Amino acid sequence: MTEIVSNKLNPDVLPHLAIWNWEVPVYLFLGGLAAGLLVISSMSLILRQRSNSKPTVKRAALLAPIALSAGMFFLFLDLAFKLHVWRFYTAFVWTSPMSWGSWMLVVFYPFSILQAAILYKEELRAKFGGLAFLDQAETQLSKIAVVNAHIGVGVGVYTGILLATFYARPLWSNAVLGLLFLLSGLSAAAALMLWMAPQTEKRIYSRLDMYLLSLEGFALTVFVIGGLTGDANRAQAMWSFLTGHYAPWFWSITIVGGLLLPLVLETMETLGKSKFSFFVPLLVLIGSLSLRFILVFAGQSMPTFS
Amino acid sequence: MSRERKYAMIIDTQRCVGCSACVYACKSENNVPEGFCRDWVVSITEGRYPNLTLTNRSERCQHCEDAPCVSNCPTAASHYAGDGTVQIDRDLCTGCKACIAACPYDARYIHPGGFADKCSFCNHRIQAGMTSTACTQVCPTGTLNLVDLNSNDGKAEALLKGRQVKQDKTHAGTKPKLFWLV
Repeated sequence: MTEIVSNKLNPDVLPHLAIWNWEVPVYLFLGGLAAGLLVISSMSLILRQRSNSKPTVKRAALLAPIALSAGMFFLFLDLAFKLHVWRFYTAFVWTSPMSWGSWMLVVFYPFSILQAAILYKEELRAKFGGLAFLDQAETQLSKIAVVNAHIGVGVGVYTGILLATFYARPLWSNAVLGLLFLLSGLSAAAALMLWMAPQTEKRIYSRLDMYLLSLEGFALTVFVIGGLTGDANRAQAMWSFLTGHYAPWFWSITIVGGLLLPLVLETMETLGKSKFSFFVPLLVLIGSLSLRFILVFAGQSMPTFS
Repeated sequence: MSRERKYAMIIDTQRCVGCSACVYACKSENNVPEGFCRDWVVSITEGRYPNLTLTNRSERCQHCEDAPCVSNCPTAASHYAGDGTVQIDRDLCTGCKACIAACPYDARYIHPGGFADKCSFCNHRIQAGMTSTACTQVCPTGTLNLVDLNSNDGKAEALLKGRQVKQDKTHAGTKPKLFWLV
């Protein structure tokens, strides 16, 4: 028998880590959503030039920087030393994903806003006049979109890698998390676009989201296998994740409600066997948000690397 | 050119009575706020009654040579001080808590002032030319020893000679610098 008594006190570190509350999962969700919106809108611009005028692509391009700003606001709320927020921009630490993330935002804003401005050129011109440089920029739109697609993938992957590099936390210490959060962000973005799309376009986004949800399910499976086949520490963390305190929420809201059910409904919509409903994208968005919440909270409640 | 120092701590668990004087000396020396601690004592009881063994272990930041708190800090607030210690520059810290998530030893916490905080090996004393930390100086049984591994004063060698040494979570790959003599 072993009995361990410690007089260590530190709140939010003991009895288990509780340093990140609701602000961080909300930020990771909005960051992933913004990345997904940027990737999908940029890809549409690259693949189908004529879709420039399509309202859903335009809205997605506009929403990308807005969603990211909302996410950044929640990240700001989480900082314990808010006055020092500018310190992210007095250093670049290449081993720190958070540092990469901060600097990626510097690239995200100008390129995503430029893309949105090009797509909303007429509306902007009607209001402010002039803006001749947008005509010039428009000729380079597909190149700008290629850059944006890469930035979007980078930010989407970053939201997962951020947690995955903390090897002291056995549930997060799983490189698939980067891919999983990217796919989850993409499917959330496709769901939002499905919601916004006019009836004539709904099938495109329903089908896209169907594919993305299948891929997300695949990544989630690999994430689980990676954990269960890891060392004792990781296997135990994954096992308690699948069966422990957060398991009822994970299985019901994230897996059944947020992944399997919308996957079935979108397949039926795509095949033309059921009508499009706002209910389906709502499920996907809730599932995507719940995945962040559950992983951030569960990852902190697992025993530290031993 | 001055020699580069490499501070570490050698802790003799055979001498430790678990009085926690190190914890209170640290709180007083470093103005550690109430309800927090930079060092702590772990008492491990093993065996089956009546054959029990008790080990007391004073613990704190390991001042790792390959510290995940340093590599995960986005603003370089957590840094190697060049004397073998890991320090936090409060002016650079945003309170993002990445270092706390990164530490396999759970040695850090967020100070009510908003910055990350932990044991500094009493950096301010070392800077002032002293050769002890608050905890090593107060320890009534001579359990705690601040040593410079790059020194040729023979202190570390004398303490380690013939003793079995335990280090915590070496498989984390962080090259920790607390050495417990068991």
